[in-house]
Amino acid sequence: MPRVLEKAKILETQREAEGIHRLVLYAPRIVPTARPGQFVMIRVASEGSDPLLSRPFSFHRLHKDDGLFEILLRVVGTGTRILSQRPPGSTLDVVGPLGRGFTPPSGPGETVALVAGGIGIAPLWALLDELTAKTHKNHRDQLYVFYGARTRTELVPLSPLKRLGVSLVVSTDDGSAGEQATVVEALARRHETGMVPLDRLYACGSLPMQVSLARWASGRGILVEMSLESMMACGIGACLGCALPAVDPEDPQAERYVHVCTDGPVFDPGRIRWDKIQPVMARPLTSASPSGL
Amino acid sequence: MLTASGTFGYGLEFGDFVDLSRLGGVIVKGISLRPRPGNPPPRLAETPSGLLNAIGLENVGVEKFLTDKLPPLLKRGAVVLVNILGESVEEYGELARILSAEAGIAALEINISCPNVKEGGMAFGTDAAAAARVVAEVRKNTSLPLITKLSPNVTSIAEIARAVVEAGTDIVSCINTVSAMAVDPFSRRPKLANIIGGLSGPAVKPIALRCVYEVVRAVSCPVIGIGGIRTALDALEFLVVGACAVQVGTANFVRPTAALEILDGIERFLRTQGLRAVTDYIGTLDTQCRFPFAEEACPV
Repeated sequence: MPRVLEKAKILETQREAEGIHRLVLYAPRIVPTARPGQFVMIRVASEGSDPLLSRPFSFHRLHKDDGLFEILLRVVGTGTRILSQRPPGSTLDVVGPLGRGFTPPSGPGETVALVAGGIGIAPLWALLDELTAKTHKNHRDQLYVFYGARTRTELVPLSPLKRLGVSLVVSTDDGSAGEQATVVEALARRHETGMVPLDRLYACGSLPMQVSLARWASGRGILVEMSLESMMACGIGACLGCALPAVDPEDPQAERYVHVCTDGPVFDPGRIRWDKIQPVMARPLTSASPSGL
Repeated sequence: MLTASGTFGYGLEFGDFVDLSRLGGVIVKGISLRPRPGNPPPRLAETPSGLLNAIGLENVGVEKFLTDKLPPLLKRGAVVLVNILGESVEEYGELARILSAEAGIAALEINISCPNVKEGGMAFGTDAAAAARVVAEVRKNTSLPLITKLSPNVTSIAEIARAVVEAGTDIVSCINTVSAMAVDPFSRRPKLANIIGGLSGPAVKPIALRCVYEVVRAVSCPVIGIGGIRTALDALEFLVVGACAVQVGTANFVRPTAALEILDGIERFLRTQGLRAVTDYIGTLDTQCRFPFAEEACPV
């Protein structure tokens, strides 16, 4: 699959939820070979050198016949703020398609759940488009979507999801929409009561969600694929910056890394050394944590 | 026009974007005797016009490089230069011996300036005598052209440059990354797991230019300029100061086609300036600085 650098034109921008924007881009050279789960690197600065680097974005939706793709972006810093404000008609330098996408289910016999935390809905939507058009076209009731966020205003509009005819479960941390639970709790509840038997699970979300889902799924005999992220400079396997600690099957104690850009971004969570990521997050500060800043 | 070590992978990563044979050379990721896993993440942080990294010289090791990486790279017509890194003087010599026995390698670049590893690396590059020992050992073990890549993290880069030239390097390249740090004021934690990293990108260009300026005056061998080159004009600054070639580094991450675009830009510049060859431009710095606008016709 050739990767290309293309000047993509922004056709449409839309605010979808609190801090979340959707961009529709015309990129006829990138789109034809793109797969759900793959990503692009998008240059932020239109001139000059600040912000210096491109930012990685998963394909949110792929419209192959029209040469279009969509991204969902959450404004988290200067780069994403600049991108969210670029007007329709302007162009962006885009490199893609990059990385390995999701492995499709073997057939319609598989019951599949997509688990999305917050902006994690982005890559799963492209996959859902593919499943509802192909393997599960006539078995949409075997597709479960668990979509959660911290609060109602951070959820993207649900009606397009509902129209797909899949089984949708919405949850929020504060109970302002759907049930009051994390997506992992909502999933676990249904699975453990036998309501949702699962063959395969696709997920994307925050690091705490990834960790808790990886922990929950391990040993249950469910095939799991997760779209992960890391600080990334190039997206093409050159900088080696986007490393995650990984399991070496031959030597469990060996120091090994995988790279999100080329080995992923979609991984079997069993390959990741979550214990090497989690302690850093859980380590307490020596004094009171800052608040209100 | 070369691509800087650590910013162009093993060259093959850029095969979809760049005709590798058009480059003056590809300097591959620093190679060590044994494979290195690299540092724990986070390994990167973005700073104003800069990139802070502590990759930790992750590489496949010399054996795998020779079997898996070098043959396809040569097949694409690339001129291959190998950046080498040892944890001891002897390891540098051993690497030089192994690589010199292999056909197709154009030159070695000795890395005595990586700030991100505990052993070797910058420890050799910040001491003139240690740097000279490494270069002399490599020189004993190879007849390939030798480039020595210098660290800016020293009091006098000219002194180190003189020492490595005396020890037998044919060419000096500078600079490697600038030792630096970034912190998150909210979490009160460093942005890199390694705490300290190496800064590259446009932010370091003025530092690099000053280093090249000093080194060109200290030694008579060719000097390769590296540091924050993003546009043809950036590259030209290094050439006018006296670098006879440049390496493009961090810009490759931002645009995989950057090196060739800069090359095309230099050629256009030379044409519009009526210069036949780049050698008519290299080292033509006029150190007599004039007040801005002093040469323009003054309406008053």
